[in-house]
Amino acid sequence: MARYVVRRLIQAIPIIVGISIIAFFIVYSAPGDPFDRFRSNKVSPEVIANLRRVYGLDQPLPIQFVKWFTAFWSFPFDNTAWGFSITDGLPVRDKIFERIPSTLQLMGTSLILTIIIAIPVGILGAVKQYSIADKVIAVITTIGYALPTFWLGIILRQIFAQQLDLFPLFGKYTFGKEGDILDLLWHLALPAMTITIVGVAGWSRYMRASMLEVLRADYIRTAKAKGLASSRVIFKHALRNALIPIVTLLGLTIPTLLAGAAITEAVFSWPGLGYLGVSAVTERDYPVVLAFAMIGGAMVIIGNLLADILYAVVDPRIKY
Amino acid sequence: MEGTQVTRIPGGAIPAVDEVDLTPVRTYWQLVRQRFVRHRLAVIAFFLMAILVTAAIAIPLLSGDAWKETSLERINQPASLTAPLGYDSLGINTFARLMKGLQTSLFIGFAAVLVIVFIGVTVGSTAGYFGGWVDNALMRVVDIVLSIPTFFLILMLVAFWGTGNVWVIIIAIGLTGWTTAARLVRAEFLSLREADFVQAAKALGAGDRRVVMRHMIPSAMAPVVVAATLGIADSVVVEAALSFLGFGITPPEASLGNMLTKAQDYFYRNPLLAWYPGITLVLVVLAASFLGDGLRDALDPRQRVETN
Repeated sequence: MARYVVRRLIQAIPIIVGISIIAFFIVYSAPGDPFDRFRSNKVSPEVIANLRRVYGLDQPLPIQFVKWFTAFWSFPFDNTAWGFSITDGLPVRDKIFERIPSTLQLMGTSLILTIIIAIPVGILGAVKQYSIADKVIAVITTIGYALPTFWLGIILRQIFAQQLDLFPLFGKYTFGKEGDILDLLWHLALPAMTITIVGVAGWSRYMRASMLEVLRADYIRTAKAKGLASSRVIFKHALRNALIPIVTLLGLTIPTLLAGAAITEAVFSWPGLGYLGVSAVTERDYPVVLAFAMIGGAMVIIGNLLADILYAVVDPRIKY
Repeated sequence: MEGTQVTRIPGGAIPAVDEVDLTPVRTYWQLVRQRFVRHRLAVIAFFLMAILVTAAIAIPLLSGDAWKETSLERINQPASLTAPLGYDSLGINTFARLMKGLQTSLFIGFAAVLVIVFIGVTVGSTAGYFGGWVDNALMRVVDIVLSIPTFFLILMLVAFWGTGNVWVIIIAIGLTGWTTAARLVRAEFLSLREADFVQAAKALGAGDRRVVMRHMIPSAMAPVVVAATLGIADSVVVEAALSFLGFGITPPEASLGNMLTKAQDYFYRNPLLAWYPGITLVLVVLAASFLGDGLRDALDPRQRVETN
């Protein structure tokens, strides 16, 4: 297993290099530059030229790339490794790290709620296949799956925040109540609900399919033939194996945890990583955009690796 | 193919009538249609998609500039026969604008899918046909593209290379979305390469180009058509999200996404404004996904997934 992980990490190196080249050139060779919006007759061209020099934008692209790429990897020791934000001059690494807790709070809550709801729903659909309950679940999850996440967010906000006034419109804390856990949960409710609804729609369908597959197996028929109670067959014999693909799904969800909910975060102005990424694109904050793309890419690679490792851990039939 | 075998009697004797399978011979496309029609939701989805496409083409054509014509007298006028959804805060006919937005969204959705199919088939068939280092190199490119979070990649491309430009949006979605199609075509090609009819074509002296274009690609298209249909749903949602964030189609042009953005400013006076483009979007997504499911069962029964 250790050798497998090492081999996979070595294979990841060219991918990371590829991602950094693509991301760098999409961003830096784009027409215009971040300082265009400062250009006016009140700002002298020397000031702009100076800014471009400070951020290294006056150098040839390949040199900028090599400088950026080599400095990038010292981030564990050096908070300036990812450069400085063009918007406020703060070190990019600090700006990004400071957003991680918010994203983890939102995504962690949504993921836990999704699992708690989706697994029983999926089991119910599979065990009572073709029943009224199964059909109702199928209709709801199909529609839920078709809902664009950001639109669902807008509608939930419109109903629960604007019309019923039960939850706040946006943000993480009420002004002056920073650190209050109840206030945090109150702000968390709507964005978490948005991500959970879409998540449950997908996960429960997956769970149902996986459970149906297992329920057809011979050993389930044997267990039933032995006269075991059906609850025991379902929860003791079937569920364990039906959960194997779900564990893989967990690994594949990790990248979306950090970057995928960007639009939901943007709808609710939730101060997480995704919102930072979207605002950085809006503001043409090149160093932040690049760091965000790199983190996103790393998350995909780590998530895939984790999915494969978890798969081997939960299923002894799989060996690498 | 069942139903096509005829009992043959050695020696060329005329078979007795009761020994002949009288089931009519069905062509591939008849079988496809038969399997598709059996999928009730897919048939409904087909008609829904047909209605959406027709409305998106015909209504903006018939109503002219109604989708952008402002008028002081009509501001916030309620629904009427010519404006089933009333008028907005600028006096624009909401229904006419919705249909124009649907037109933009569907155009981007279909065009992006064409780009996806073009790149995917080119890359996938090259990799699958030549194999070896070509295959290896192309599949590493697929890995790299798959490893950058898709929406963020599209966002970067559109924001930095042409905010509000329809063609940039289409190309951005195309450049990021082709990996699935490429993998599907490559997998088909790996098995087709060894198929008898391909070997026969080669033995008859057909060049690489002819073998690939005339013999292999048509046989590899079924899974691509399915993936492309499902891809319409994704592309339409991506466009809406881009426009919602302000990078996609910008007013005065209409798109479902920028209608949603605008609805945010009027949520107290007219909360329904956020529902119209959203529901239209959901209808497009549902139609495309059920159509895709139906096509999968019809064109490519091997891929069939147990859904119920």
